[in-house]
Amino acid sequence: MIEFHDVRKTYQLKGVRKTILTGLTARFPKGKNIGILGHNGAGKSTLMRLIAGAELPDSGRIKRNVKVSWPLGFGGGFAGKMTGIENVRFVARMYGEDTERMVEFVEDFSELGPSMMLPIQTYSSGMKARLAFGVSMAVNFKCYLIDEITAVGDASFRRKCDLMFETKLKHANIIMISHSESSIKKLCDTACLLNNGRLTFFDTVDDALAQHRKNQLA
Amino acid sequence: MEGIVATQARVIGALVLRETRVVFGDTQLGYFWAIINPALGTLVLVLIFSSVGRSPAFGTSFALFFATGILPFQTYSKLSNGLMTAISSSRGLLSYPLVKETDLLFSKYILVTLTYLMIIVVFFTMIILGDDAPLPARVEECATAFTALSLFGFGVGVTNAVLFRLWPTWRQVESILSKPLFFLSGIFYVPGDFPTHIVKILAWNPILHGIEWFREGYYGNYDSIVLSKTYLLTCTFALLLFGFLSERLYRKKSI
Repeated sequence: MIEFHDVRKTYQLKGVRKTILTGLTARFPKGKNIGILGHNGAGKSTLMRLIAGAELPDSGRIKRNVKVSWPLGFGGGFAGKMTGIENVRFVARMYGEDTERMVEFVEDFSELGPSMMLPIQTYSSGMKARLAFGVSMAVNFKCYLIDEITAVGDASFRRKCDLMFETKLKHANIIMISHSESSIKKLCDTACLLNNGRLTFFDTVDDALAQHRKNQLA
Repeated sequence: MEGIVATQARVIGALVLRETRVVFGDTQLGYFWAIINPALGTLVLVLIFSSVGRSPAFGTSFALFFATGILPFQTYSKLSNGLMTAISSSRGLLSYPLVKETDLLFSKYILVTLTYLMIIVVFFTMIILGDDAPLPARVEECATAFTALSLFGFGVGVTNAVLFRLWPTWRQVESILSKPLFFLSGIFYVPGDFPTHIVKILAWNPILHGIEWFREGYYGNYDSIVLSKTYLLTCTFALLLFGFLSERLYRKKSI
């Protein structure tokens, strides 16, 4: 589904060099829901952006042959001055979707009501998350990249998200980052661990979680 | 999979529409002000200059002479300056994998150029109706000159964007460096009126060629002694090539 071939990624910011990946060659298997584990700052989000294609590696190649979503769970691409509806329309146009169908879907899913007509800068972070989640669920991807989204929203919205996932996961897969062991256990078939520039795949989620816990204590 | 070109065209289209809302969306009538504001600004300058009794360096209408200089110049300066921050100010959008740095540059270019095209049409209509100015003699020449100058602005703007990313202070330096251009581009004078040794110096400025070209197109009988279309086009091509190559080269160092 997604293949990494000798991918290196480092950052240099204000003279501090950070290594995210040191020559990773790996295949994210098709038809599996994969969790990505790692401590804070290990580079999980960067790895996600590399998978999405929103960022380029220093060297190496990344191949994807399915329609991959943008890393979901942030409102980074939203313009604060634009209303909710306008932001939805923008994404719809970009992905070549029917704008009105998408607006309807998001209105229905996010339950923002009249707030959809207000500029995003007036939204609370929970409202933004609802919108962001609605927008990405409106586009049919084969692989959804989820960056900690399950941590936002109130209980009823989270239930709604879970329901939506269940329907989506019949035709699509997810790759997710989460610090919540329970949501990884619930949604993922397998997991991998990002540590010191290396990504290790595990057969089961439990193995990965066990190793992750051990790393954190060390 | 659909063609890459079709996808990018769609993305750029969506970005242009988005940008219109972001830049002009705050006020009532939004985009209307984007057109009217510079047009009125230029009008004020024209009124000031003509009220102090300045006669045009060429032709009978001072407003027309000034407009044929200032509007192409503003197109250039808006592009060279606006493109500098086109990527950094929309960084959030890059998290959509479909959006590439070059898309942000292209969409900004399209938006600014179309806006100034509108401004030029509105403004010249105003002068033709209000100041009894003649119609353009060769519209196609004006259009080519405008396109060439806007592409030159594109080249400078892309180069600025790369330099700004590598060295953020460039923004301040550039604003100082580009200040004299207002006086060096033949906006309110005819370069040919100056002594030869000054003309030789002025002729290094590609923008001046763009304005001279535009004037030759507008006035049927304006014979520029400095105009070299080849010079402007060569500079344009070289800068676009340099700008986009360095953009590609330094893209990964973007954050």
